[in-house]
Amino acid sequence: MSENPLSLPIAFQIGPVEVSTPVVTTWGIMAVLGLGSWLLTRRLALRPSRTQAVLELIVTTIDAQIASVVAGDPARLRPLIGTLLIFILTANWSSLIPGVEPPTAHLETDAALALIVFVATIVAGVRANGTLGYLKSFANPTWVMIPLNLIEQVTRAFSLMVRLFGNVMSGVFVVGILLSLAGLLVPIPLMALDLLTGAVQAYIFAILALVFIGSAIEEGHSPDKPEAKEGAA
Amino acid sequence: MNFDLTTFAFQLVNVLVLLAILRHFLFKPVVEIIARRRAETEAAMAAAEAAKTDAAAAKKAAEAEAEATRAARHDVLADARKEAEAERARLVQAAQQEAQRIAEGARAGAEETRAAAEAGLLNEARELAQAIAARAMAAQPKPPNAAAYAERLVTALAAIPEAARQALLSAPDLSVLTPAELTEGEAASLRDRLVAAGAPASVPVTVEPALIAGLELRSGAGVVHNSLAHDLEQLAKAMRDGGHPGN
Repeated sequence: MSENPLSLPIAFQIGPVEVSTPVVTTWGIMAVLGLGSWLLTRRLALRPSRTQAVLELIVTTIDAQIASVVAGDPARLRPLIGTLLIFILTANWSSLIPGVEPPTAHLETDAALALIVFVATIVAGVRANGTLGYLKSFANPTWVMIPLNLIEQVTRAFSLMVRLFGNVMSGVFVVGILLSLAGLLVPIPLMALDLLTGAVQAYIFAILALVFIGSAIEEGHSPDKPEAKEGAA
Repeated sequence: MNFDLTTFAFQLVNVLVLLAILRHFLFKPVVEIIARRRAETEAAMAAAEAAKTDAAAAKKAAEAEAEATRAARHDVLADARKEAEAERARLVQAAQQEAQRIAEGARAGAEETRAAAEAGLLNEARELAQAIAARAMAAQPKPPNAAAYAERLVTALAAIPEAARQALLSAPDLSVLTPAELTEGEAASLRDRLVAAGAPASVPVTVEPALIAGLELRSGAGVVHNSLAHDLEQLAKAMRDGGHPGN
């Protein structure tokens, strides 16, 4: 961990394309999550085992969170919100493996996640209200607010990216500094704190994405409804 | 710090691919199994509700059937009571008729028995009367006239011991009893025989119809019986003491 955490290490190169370490780590996470999902869900039964009960608890909790924010069937948002939560949580906690740096500690990963949420917000708003209806929602409460609303669309996605990047990168950065200065066991309390921070950040990212998408869906239906505000992060 | 667009593109694709993977291998199967369980639970609930409805209907039908059974039982019992009452009345009437018939038969039998007994008694009485008459007549002298009775009286007097005969004959109230007035000849003949037997000549003759036939000598000291009445009395006494006079 002596290298600069802000630098982007290259794992290997395929022709002109350089494949960075966060990408490889993400592939590893994808493999683990995909294989784990396949293994855990290939023998589901009506009388659930403990593992199946945990899976069902996770899914139903995600559904409950979605239903508490957005009216209607939570199934349409379940894959996106669930994937964001599980991926970010797994990525944040991957720092527990020695030599592995969380992909979310690099801006490219967080930017990709924020872009997905940004696009999903627009798509959900258009699908729920139609293109014209969605565009009209920018004129709420008055047309004067159109520039501010447009800027808000970008800034809140940007804030998502920066918040996640800052929190995870700072944790990695501090652990790296302590490790290089103090020794092997000193960073352990901070690593434990990183676990909590990683879980909280995953939850915040997913719930804010849900709030943004829900806001885009429901703004066209109730113009007078106050806009969803970001939680303190 | 710089922003690597290649990594950004890779991560964008990676997250979308992961979204597809989790959607297919995690969320879809789990949601399907939850939906299946919910459907089966709802089906079980519906089946339970249907079973409950069926049970309620069956209970209602059973109650209706029980009510019908109670009504039928009541009708059957009422009919049975009515039939039993009719049968009892018929039996009582039959018993009364039978008892009346038996009583009439008993009365007829008693009447026949009584008539037979009366006939038997009459026959026996007739036979007894014949026996008594024959016995009594057999004991009377032949022929049964005053002379014959006088002869038997003297014979009987002679059979008495001497002392008793003397006491009898010497008694002042000595008299001769006869059932009817004697003719002069019969009275003289009787007196002669008595005097010959030791009696005084002045013995008076008294008429006593109760003797029926015969002659008797009577005084305060005794009596010499010699009459049909006495013979009949002896026969009656023998019958009282020993039964049939022929015995």
